[in-house]
Amino acid sequence: MEAEVIEAELVLPTYMSFKKIQMYEKYPKGQSRGRHWKHLKQILQAENYQNYPPDEPNYVNIESPPSMHPCKRICDITGFEAPYYDPRTNLRYANAEVFKLVRSLPNEYVQRYLALRNAAVVLK
Amino acid sequence: MPFISQIKRQTDYNLFPSSTPIVIDNGASYFRIGWAGETGTLVSFSATLFRDLATKPLFEIMEYILDFGFDRIGANGTEIDHPVLITECVCNPVHSRSKMAELLFETYGVPSVAFGVDAAFSYKYNQQYGICNKDGLAICPGFSTTHVIPFVEGEPVYRGSCRTNIGGYHITDYLKQLLSLKHPQHMARLTWEKVEDLKMEHCYIATDYFLEAQLFQKGTKEAEDKTRCWQLPWVPPPTEEPPSEEEIARKAAIKERQGQRLREMAEAKRSSRINELENELHGLEFLLQQLAQVEENDIPAFLSDTGYVSRQEIEASLAKVTQSLRKAKGEPKVEQAEIEKTDVSTNEKYPLINIPDNMLSPEQLKEKRRQVFLKTTTEGRQRAKQKRVEEGLEQERKNQQDEERRLENPELYLEQMRAKYKELSEKIDQRKRLKTNGSQTNGNNASGGVGRGERLNAAQRERMRLLTTAAFDRGKGEDTFGARDEDWQLYKLMSKDNDDDDDGADADETELARISARLQDIDPTFVPKHESAPSQSAAEIPRARPLTKEDFQIVLGVERFRCPEILFRPNWIGIDQVGLDEMAGVSIRRLPSNDEDLEQRLTSSILMTGGCCLFPGMSERLEAGIRMIRPCGAPIKVVRALDPVLDAWRGASLYCC
Repeated sequence: MEAEVIEAELVLPTYMSFKKIQMYEKYPKGQSRGRHWKHLKQILQAENYQNYPPDEPNYVNIESPPSMHPCKRICDITGFEAPYYDPRTNLRYANAEVFKLVRSLPNEYVQRYLALRNAAVVLK
Repeated sequence: MPFISQIKRQTDYNLFPSSTPIVIDNGASYFRIGWAGETGTLVSFSATLFRDLATKPLFEIMEYILDFGFDRIGANGTEIDHPVLITECVCNPVHSRSKMAELLFETYGVPSVAFGVDAAFSYKYNQQYGICNKDGLAICPGFSTTHVIPFVEGEPVYRGSCRTNIGGYHITDYLKQLLSLKHPQHMARLTWEKVEDLKMEHCYIATDYFLEAQLFQKGTKEAEDKTRCWQLPWVPPPTEEPPSEEEIARKAAIKERQGQRLREMAEAKRSSRINELENELHGLEFLLQQLAQVEENDIPAFLSDTGYVSRQEIEASLAKVTQSLRKAKGEPKVEQAEIEKTDVSTNEKYPLINIPDNMLSPEQLKEKRRQVFLKTTTEGRQRAKQKRVEEGLEQERKNQQDEERRLENPELYLEQMRAKYKELSEKIDQRKRLKTNGSQTNGNNASGGVGRGERLNAAQRERMRLLTTAAFDRGKGEDTFGARDEDWQLYKLMSKDNDDDDDGADADETELARISARLQDIDPTFVPKHESAPSQSAAEIPRARPLTKEDFQIVLGVERFRCPEILFRPNWIGIDQVGLDEMAGVSIRRLPSNDEDLEQRLTSSILMTGGCCLFPGMSERLEAGIRMIRPCGAPIKVVRALDPVLDAWRGASLYCC
């Protein structure tokens, strides 16, 4: 790996002739720069989209709406069609065999399966 | 299929006049930089190479990426004195665009910058090559987002575009999570890069997800063929070689020698003991001979030196020594004879038993008590022996009867035995189940099975009832508990030991063992059921089992099409937005005119571009999905871009000329 990296010249020199401001000038070492970047939410708020006409496309209003199709559920573990739902773990499952597995899963795994579809219990 | 990085430093930088623009396709996963109009060499590399910097602000990372890009096309002047065309996403917020412009102008000294949408460039490029028409839809599933842009008269109509926040990143992440949940022991092997490779190599899009899943659920041959398996490096554990002849012989010799030594030791011990006992015997005999010559009255005085009290005692110890000697010499015991002898000599042996107490001195009383005790124990022993003999005879008789019955009608007999065996084993099983039920319903419930709706057996239920009534009885009227003696029985009922009533069980089990032994004798097809419950043994086995090749395989079955499926069903990973197929419908609806003709023209030229289009089965699936949301008979044509990965850059490059 190391040899490949050197051969590919992946490591850049700190000084680049074609730059007007070098990296080390812009971000001096050992100086805490604080958090001076913005989150997407802040950026979008600063854009003041509400002041624009509604039929003008912008980052927010081109977002897709929720689906109109009936949502078919799949088994969280196997991916098969899931007619059943386990009220204890909240996992969906396909058949009795999977159910056995569901019930034997430790809670950590249950939560990880739920997190896959953004349904895990989040402690704040 | 994997994207190829091309990062060799170019040497022809100075050959280009400063009017030649540099074209940058700034994709979320791949970054491409090259000269306008030149479709040959260009530098492209994965932007995820810089992921290590992810803790830094986005535009600092961007700067590193641009540094690398400009360095690779061979920039060596004091600034980048070429116009730059750079791609961005649809409706990029002004803030991001201005940051990018700021970076390019101020840090690199770029004379001018132009921005454009990657999907639009790709569509225009393919339109030039006649892949798609001037009216149509560009569907571009990217790394973190997917866009659909309608084109009317060759111009993108951004008010009709839509974006779903799903892309290749989500697919890889989903696959990574699923595989590491499926193979928790190999989590370390499932790095992002590896899973990305697996995705590109093996994932495909099913035309009908649920039909495809059913194949796998039923375990058909077809599904088996579609299952991919990644064998991790695995070294089989060294197999135990059977020891050679020589080794066996050597071991046997050692064993033999050791056995010999032990035998010799035992022999020596035995002979020394025999010797000892013989000496003692001679001494005692000699003593008796001497005693015979001594006067009756002088006996106590004579014996005071020897430690014996009376002649009888000497005789008793003589008998004892004789018996020990006989045992040591390995002669058979003469018990039977002894018994008869004792029968005869009961009165001689226990002379004091039949004499009333009041006629005896205190010492004699003690002696009498001893004799009584001896007599009763001897008799008890004899009775037990007798009983054993009788039982043996009884068993023999029963067996004989059995045998006779069998000889009379072998088939019927066998049938009966089998029925009996079945009945008994079921009975015992039932009892076991009742006993263990509730305490081992599943692994989740380690607390012992009480609560959370677990089933209890009858005895446990009764105990719970008693406990609850006792607990809630308080304060209801006068407390009279303990007034009657029966009240205290309650505690006995409540106690935990109450529910193991094994009385009938033992008899049944011995009978079952007898029958199964008998069946094994007479029925060659008979296989006795194993005692341990299968669920228990199944839980035990995997721990003890040595690891095999199969334990080091990562199996891709349903995952192969389950992961890309989220492009069409984002809500499977909790993103509540329309999938690719419906996005087309949304885009068409968002166009201002309600023109049937235009809609038909749009759907007859649907271009897929972007890295995620490379999944096999994508266009078929997209066509089927869009057909479902369009009126019956509407023309639908889905085409894939010439090169879904590079077309955006090529389009942008051509745009400059």
